[in-house]
Amino acid sequence: MSAAAAVAPATASTTPITGAVVRDLSYAEAIREAMAIALERDPRVVLMGEDIGVYGGAFQVTGDLVHRFGPDRVMDTPISELGGAGVAVGAALTGLRPIFEFQFSDFATLAMEQIVNQAAKLRFMLGGAVSVPVVMRFPAGSGTGAAAQHSQSLEAWFGHVPGLKVVQPATPHDAKGLLLAAVHDPDPVMIFEHKLLYKTKGPVPEGHYTVPIGEAAVCRPGRDVTVVASAVMVPRALDAATQLAADGIDAEVIDLRTIRPLDRETLIASVAKTTRLVCVYEGVKTLGVGAEVSALIAESEAFDYLDAPIVRVGGAEVPIPYSPELEKAAVPQTADIAAAVRRVVRGAV
Amino acid sequence: MPKVDMDMATGRITSWSVAEGTRVKAGDPLFVIETDKAAMDVDSPADGVVHHIHAEAGTDVPIGQPVAWIYVDGETVGPPPNPSPSGRGWPRERPGERGAAGAPSEQHTSLNTLTPPPLPEAEGLAAPADRPRATPHARRLARERGVDLRLILGSGPRGRIARADVEAYQTPAVTAAPEMAGPLVLHRSGGGPGTPVLLLHGFAADSHVWARVVPLLPCGHAVIKLDLPGHGRSPARSVGSFRDLARLVVAAFDRAGFDRVHVVGHSLGGGLALALADVRARRLASLTLIAPAGLGPEMDGDALFGLARASRAESLAPWLRRLVADPGLVTDGFVHAAMLARADPSLRTAQQALADCLFADGVQCFDLQAALQRVAVPTKLLWGRADRVFPWRQALHAPGRVALHLLDDIGHVPHLEAPDIVAALIADLATLDQARADTKRAA
Repeated sequence: MSAAAAVAPATASTTPITGAVVRDLSYAEAIREAMAIALERDPRVVLMGEDIGVYGGAFQVTGDLVHRFGPDRVMDTPISELGGAGVAVGAALTGLRPIFEFQFSDFATLAMEQIVNQAAKLRFMLGGAVSVPVVMRFPAGSGTGAAAQHSQSLEAWFGHVPGLKVVQPATPHDAKGLLLAAVHDPDPVMIFEHKLLYKTKGPVPEGHYTVPIGEAAVCRPGRDVTVVASAVMVPRALDAATQLAADGIDAEVIDLRTIRPLDRETLIASVAKTTRLVCVYEGVKTLGVGAEVSALIAESEAFDYLDAPIVRVGGAEVPIPYSPELEKAAVPQTADIAAAVRRVVRGAV
Repeated sequence: MPKVDMDMATGRITSWSVAEGTRVKAGDPLFVIETDKAAMDVDSPADGVVHHIHAEAGTDVPIGQPVAWIYVDGETVGPPPNPSPSGRGWPRERPGERGAAGAPSEQHTSLNTLTPPPLPEAEGLAAPADRPRATPHARRLARERGVDLRLILGSGPRGRIARADVEAYQTPAVTAAPEMAGPLVLHRSGGGPGTPVLLLHGFAADSHVWARVVPLLPCGHAVIKLDLPGHGRSPARSVGSFRDLARLVVAAFDRAGFDRVHVVGHSLGGGLALALADVRARRLASLTLIAPAGLGPEMDGDALFGLARASRAESLAPWLRRLVADPGLVTDGFVHAAMLARADPSLRTAQQALADCLFADGVQCFDLQAALQRVAVPTKLLWGRADRVFPWRQALHAPGRVALHLLDDIGHVPHLEAPDIVAALIADLATLDQARADTKRAA
């Protein structure tokens, strides 16, 4: 493969090529396909991470890529998140486009120096002379019985850092499109992949396309209330909306897709239309993503359209418990979302 | 400038009874204001000496604006303070802020007799009485439409006003101006081919009490609300007995020229509706009696006399709350709106006289049980089982052809507490009447 032919154009298509075949893929397969396309199109792209080679990754996302692209481009790194992330940031600084996989997003705590103090800062501290086009992938969230140190939703931490972009795809289509957009992006992009979504299936076009970073999706238009969700909370919010429709409540569900930068326009337009807002997120409720969305709306021109208090449905203020029942109770479930929306729409809050 | 009428935005002083430097006692007349209804004296709220008369006779003054200041004995008379530029119902400053703002010291007493102290709320943050709890959307809508939020009854938790409450309030606001029908005033709204609906409010209320039901009534029926004598906008009349009162209502009914009408009456208005049905049965399409008076001597005299006497929100609130099963429904904002409607002392005097005559010794002194036995039009009798004013068991005097609707967890004012149920039951009678008319026409 010649390097000149393989480099992707700067303005990548945001929609699949007309006539592209659409198949049902799992979320994990869609990510693997995106990484394969990136590896094929751009010789600067390399994959790094613990056990992503022959083992295929902790959640089998990289799968057989080491056999297709070789160990020089699909690299196992030692069991040191700080070291691996540091190598990836350095490689990005010196011209590569690394995609670095964490086994669990919880282990980002070990690599915060490289992410927060180096990757996010260097463009600014060096007067724009460099950029750090690294992509980091974080299997995140609860629901797998992996307890307190392997189940957190820490995306809000990264959303607090200028210099980082943070995305949280909810569908196989967006997982592929956002990963390819992240690879093209000149700055560090953090991708939070919910572990419960890896096996969910959905339509994914063949070939190269991107989903723009910073654009939310209205995945169910509605009249009575705006429900803002991300990651696995999106299918739960959609299930809740279906139940609510039977009660005559028409909920609009917005998939944030990007946590930083937030899509202000879509959120404000929706709340101005529906007059009510429920924010759903798996992270701990206090100081979480939904807190930011609530504040954004309260500060915006949509404020004068609010006809009910804003309600947040977030994670409990506890480390994720090991007991499966307690684990479920610690994060929003479909019934919690439906109940909150009912209370807001019926004027019970 | 006190607000003595629900629709009043400014008041005109026709003459001053005092001059600069006059010493007054609380209760002495200060000036006369003119409203649509009558000229009335405004009394001094405090002892002292009148100074700084801002509002000359013949000028219009916004509600809530000071028109003069009363100084207590020994207080130094300073330069004339600026009148509050806002037209709000009561001064916004708190005691202690006045001196700092260069206005007179705390010892001044504003002539506004309605200044309410903030009342504690059962839970949550207290909403200042002049700033009712309302959603941003409701506030924006009220701003755009020039609606005073203090007059709106909120349907949300702790009386919060939402968009729908403001929208519902607009319906009565677009009604035609009140008209005189013989001795009494009536308010018409809506219209259409349907048989009109006539609403008779209860003792110490007025036409506004129907505000929650009217928007829920079926379309196509004109709605006519009558103000009883000495209530709402109707002038006080000399009434020596229930019979006198009923005669006035019948006279107004005749003068209004109804062909056929559905009659709905509550409490005293229910008794009057029954009396009307007794003498004008052919012109009634149906009768809906809501906790009507006259079906037994028992009653809560304290509540009705308390309502009639109350001269301020604090003394009105406990009696208003006794009228309903859920006292939370009667928010501070509701109490203040009700008190504004009763600010006219002559209205209160007239109602007290009426109570002395009709409910002497805390007893219902008139008996309409015979009239109920004779009732010949389709009739529904509604009563809240939690009614603390008239015992609901008085409903059991009804003859078999009267439909009884006994409502759990509802007090004396179902049209306030469960307007949807009341509207649906009135709609049932309207539907029945229409079906009978259609059958007759087909035959």
